[in-house]
Amino acid sequence: MIVQFSYKAPTSMEQLLSLLGKDGATYKLLAGGTDLLVGIRNGVYAPTQVIDLKKIPGFDLISWDEKGDLVMGPAVTINAMLFDKRVQEHFPLLCACGKDLASYQIRNRATVVGNIVNASPCSDMAPALLCLDARVRIESLQGSREVAIGAFFTGVKRTVLGKGELVSAITIPSSMADKAGVYRKLKRIQGHDLGIVGVAVVNLGKSARVAVSSSAPTPVITPELPLTLGLDKMLKEVEAIIRPISDVRCSKEYRQFMVGEYAKRLWMEVIA
Amino acid sequence: MKIKVTVNAIPYEREIEEHMTLLRFLREGLGLTGTKEGCGAGECGACTVFFNGKTVNSCMVLAAEADGAVIETIEGEATEGMLSALQSSFEKHFAVQCGFCTAGMIMSARELIHHHPHPTAEEIKEGLEGNFCRCTGYEQIVEAILDVTGSFVAKEVLTYV
Amino acid sequence: MYDTLDRSQLKNVGKSAVRLDVKEKLTGEAVYVSDMVLPGMLYAQIKKSPHARARILSIDTSKAEALRGVRAVLTGSELDYRLGLYVVDKYLLAKGEVRHYGEAVAAVAAESLQIAREAVDLIEVTYEVLDPVLNHMDAMKEDAPLVHPDLGSYDYIKAVFTPIPGTNIANLTKLRKGDVEQGFADSAFVVEREYDNPSVQHVPMETHVSIVKWGSGDRVTIYTSAQSPFTVRNLFCRTFSLPFNKVRVIIPYVGGGFGGKAGIHIEPLTACLSKKAGGAPVKFQASREEEFSLLPCRSALTYRIKTGVSEEGKILAQKMEMYWDAGAYADYAVNVTRASGYSASGPYEIPNAWVDAYTVYTNKPYGTAYRGFGHVEFHWGIERHMDLVAKTIGMDPLEFRHLNALRPGSITLTGEKITSHSGDVLACLDAVAKAIGYGKKSKEEKLREKESGLRIGKGIAILQKAPAMPSNTATAAIVKMNGDGTVSVAVGLTDIGQGSTTALAQIVAERLDFRLDQVFVKVEKDTDSDPYDWQTVASKGLIMSGNACILACKDLLQKGYAVASHVLKACVDDLGHDSEAVFVRHDPESRISWPQIALGYAYPDGKAIGGPLIGIGSYIAQGLSNLDKETGQGKPALDWTFGAHGIICEVNPVTGEYTLRKIASAFDVGKVVNPQLLRGQIIGGMLQGLGTAMCEGYIYDGSGHLLNPSFTDNKIPTAKDLPFEVETIAVENAQVDGPYGARGVAEHPMISVAPALGNAIYQAVGADLSHMPIRAEDVWRALHNKQPIDNWITKTPVGSCRSTPVLGSHSPSHALEP
Repeated sequence: MIVQFSYKAPTSMEQLLSLLGKDGATYKLLAGGTDLLVGIRNGVYAPTQVIDLKKIPGFDLISWDEKGDLVMGPAVTINAMLFDKRVQEHFPLLCACGKDLASYQIRNRATVVGNIVNASPCSDMAPALLCLDARVRIESLQGSREVAIGAFFTGVKRTVLGKGELVSAITIPSSMADKAGVYRKLKRIQGHDLGIVGVAVVNLGKSARVAVSSSAPTPVITPELPLTLGLDKMLKEVEAIIRPISDVRCSKEYRQFMVGEYAKRLWMEVIA
Repeated sequence: MKIKVTVNAIPYEREIEEHMTLLRFLREGLGLTGTKEGCGAGECGACTVFFNGKTVNSCMVLAAEADGAVIETIEGEATEGMLSALQSSFEKHFAVQCGFCTAGMIMSARELIHHHPHPTAEEIKEGLEGNFCRCTGYEQIVEAILDVTGSFVAKEVLTYV
Repeated sequence: MYDTLDRSQLKNVGKSAVRLDVKEKLTGEAVYVSDMVLPGMLYAQIKKSPHARARILSIDTSKAEALRGVRAVLTGSELDYRLGLYVVDKYLLAKGEVRHYGEAVAAVAAESLQIAREAVDLIEVTYEVLDPVLNHMDAMKEDAPLVHPDLGSYDYIKAVFTPIPGTNIANLTKLRKGDVEQGFADSAFVVEREYDNPSVQHVPMETHVSIVKWGSGDRVTIYTSAQSPFTVRNLFCRTFSLPFNKVRVIIPYVGGGFGGKAGIHIEPLTACLSKKAGGAPVKFQASREEEFSLLPCRSALTYRIKTGVSEEGKILAQKMEMYWDAGAYADYAVNVTRASGYSASGPYEIPNAWVDAYTVYTNKPYGTAYRGFGHVEFHWGIERHMDLVAKTIGMDPLEFRHLNALRPGSITLTGEKITSHSGDVLACLDAVAKAIGYGKKSKEEKLREKESGLRIGKGIAILQKAPAMPSNTATAAIVKMNGDGTVSVAVGLTDIGQGSTTALAQIVAERLDFRLDQVFVKVEKDTDSDPYDWQTVASKGLIMSGNACILACKDLLQKGYAVASHVLKACVDDLGHDSEAVFVRHDPESRISWPQIALGYAYPDGKAIGGPLIGIGSYIAQGLSNLDKETGQGKPALDWTFGAHGIICEVNPVTGEYTLRKIASAFDVGKVVNPQLLRGQIIGGMLQGLGTAMCEGYIYDGSGHLLNPSFTDNKIPTAKDLPFEVETIAVENAQVDGPYGARGVAEHPMISVAPALGNAIYQAVGADLSHMPIRAEDVWRALHNKQPIDNWITKTPVGSCRSTPVLGSHSPSHALEP
């Protein structure tokens, strides 16, 4: 690493927020580091300060609040989520997406929050979180706010987060528990790979939604679509939300085709 | 900054540069060169070590994060020159060729066996997907793990015609 | 045969002896160059060209030189050394012009890696960007920019290669056998198509790394992760005009090579940095990204094949044109062209053949040796083409191969006669066909298809390769007896993972009739103390070093017997031995132990005879000749190893996604020396071949920038990419002049995996592919008759920048009545 930065590991939210509020330093938050440290190595980021979130008590907790909503702190790793019995039981779609994220070692470090803060179009967790109406809690010295996951992404590698803000938790409403959902990702090999196309479908009882990654500047999701909607109309809705491009991984044409194929396949699987 | 870290049951206290990775710390700071760098970007798994009981790519961890942590590397796998059962199985099944991926492979295999004491071949492949090996084609590695976990079915090594 | 014994009589050869180097590798003790740190060592970094072709207008190194901790800065203007294995065409640092993206322009040595990196960033280079020539077919055109305008002035090996000054052609290899035009005229069908594949990267897990100390009195010590210590030493000495005995090359454990470390690469530049830094040792290790473009790759190939067949399906004539994309420098590519030229038809008898094989310079990272040495690439074309020909004439591909493959009595392209002990390609083919249930679907397979909606296809492909090496390739072995009766073996062959140390130990134990634990072959190589070996390449190690070991054992025993005959007062011819002692055969009680004579024997009165027992074996390839430059006729092959792959593939007929159910691979290895080591070579090579077949390849934009120099976008197979079932098959038709009948098989498993897959996919869903890798999208495009992707040059995956329209993968093949 050519970039020389200082390392800070605050042990309380107050310490953390005051570090974020300081002027001058260009900081980056470190949770799993699987995107950040690659980015620093490749010269994409050049922070003067790296602030580790993992020493703050509670940040690595998966909990259930008084309403029964699932709350995941910013240091909850993908594997911690996958190994959680209650998550496994009630949020199969979260697990389906998590299981396909990178390799085992990466899942030991990579966090759920990091996967959305990184705001990659090919985020694996985003399709599940979009399907499950996740809410993103944002903290700063100025106070806290909450945004719907659908409003969180603003572009490729861009989010609504402003300076001094961090995502302190992701919550999933209890109303989304036990919803059947499936995820499928097109890869170049059978082993770990970024999604060339990722599609998730969730069955909400009377309706369903289709979320897609790697096919637009941000992960996207359809409105609620009635289960009775025919496949062709469903596909029209999906086509309306994607804007695939051609790159070294795949052509626009094939992306478009495969989103449709996977949407059809998963739709039938989930509705059945 | 100064960190205190336990590596293979030995406590160390060392001054480190704050931007140093755990991999560099282990190799250059402690001379534990059994752990290798294959890509430096978390893709190949050659640098896999245990960090507080969980496998991580040490090229994607800061040494600073390891303050207070317990690290295990390939150098801690054998006991007084005696190979562990896992290492012996790798030896028996020719699961090593150039050897550069071996340390990371052993670490991932140990983590896998911890979670799946009797893994199937598919579970083994799943558990090792983050560890590249360019030499062996993985099959003999899978067999070594099947054998040490008790579900290897012996067969002819080659069909002779 | 140097020693022919029935398999049942062999005690060591043929057994799965445990690897000699395995404990060090399992415990992390094995030291690779990347692990090494020398006292006072400096760290090097390299400034690289961001352009494919540009004139260097100026290089300002003043800021880098002023940085504290920087000990040496070098640019091309200071270094007047050119390097090249066969054509001496490459400066250590670019001079005047950069010729490919990623080329070294300046270099720094500093007290830490970090300082070296900062210093490289501080070097300012101004360029005038020039139009690059990127596609090798474009580079063949008359008005193409010249990558090497001075080609005519370069040194090259004149007996073997033919560069054409004033063009981008670094070499033209020609072969003429019979009358190809008459052959076409006599043919009932003529089938012609073009096949291609991109450049790929070897991906050894340990990237290239060297530590060089240019000591006082020009005594140079090089520690390097390389395959061929003597090639590094000899070419290094030629470049700097140093005597061979002043340069010492040490190779410890090597983290994989696959041909990418066969020649000489970063050692000379690292040495120059050491010299400039006053003789401090300097270490340079390539990053994974640098491995893709600073260091060489495998050449791309465009292969045009025109085949004429008789009514009965017998090949009568074949015209073969190869266009190898050398990239910016010739390196091994010219020899890949030569070796592929004389083997171009694969294991088929072609009565009338015509080959023109060009090596073409382009402004891209350059090609070098890669496992298979061209044969992986051209077998893709040949073995897809044979299926196409069979289909065209309405014959089953297996039957077609049976009709046309080499067999005893066949004459190869270069005029060599195949004999009953050359190896049996049809035995390999039949074995894999049987293993995959070729030509039919089982009940279970039919049920699977019905339930999944997927289509199952079964494909076969055959292969051949001989070592590509000079006709006078030589090696040697030294077997030294220690005072306790154990032996230590030294050879110049490097064990880069293939297991040669273990196999050679087995051969030595067999020949000496010693226990295996009495024999040690060290892994580390040192040109000061190890005997010469040409190179660790070409699958020639087992046969050549094996023979040298046998000769050395014979020599050792002879010397031991000479001493023993004095001591035992017996005729040498009456002596015998076992692992403990030499004895008189008709009086076994009369014996002298090996330890007693190992270092010389002392009589009870103190008088001594003999001396340390050291056996020496020198071996040189015999009967080979240079090929005639006009006709390609001659004897290039020490031995041919034949093989075959059969693949069962399951394909989605809508999306083109596919998975491999089974692969069966068979090779005529002559004699299996170590079954488990052989199996490791077969499966490892097979999966590397599958990487080439399924997903690997360089992707450039229209300006020649490499877009995927990392594991993020250059995927290689993982454990999950292994076919569900793998079967490895050995055929044993002994090689008469091989050690215990063995022949080499290290490269072969990688060859013809891709066409077996292509043929299986075609069989499953009718997607007829002529370019690899075969990505799901390629299958989908073929299925839907869409324009194939040609993104190896262009940035946009769709759209071609080919120079001339050629038959695309999905156009109907020519099936012309002559």
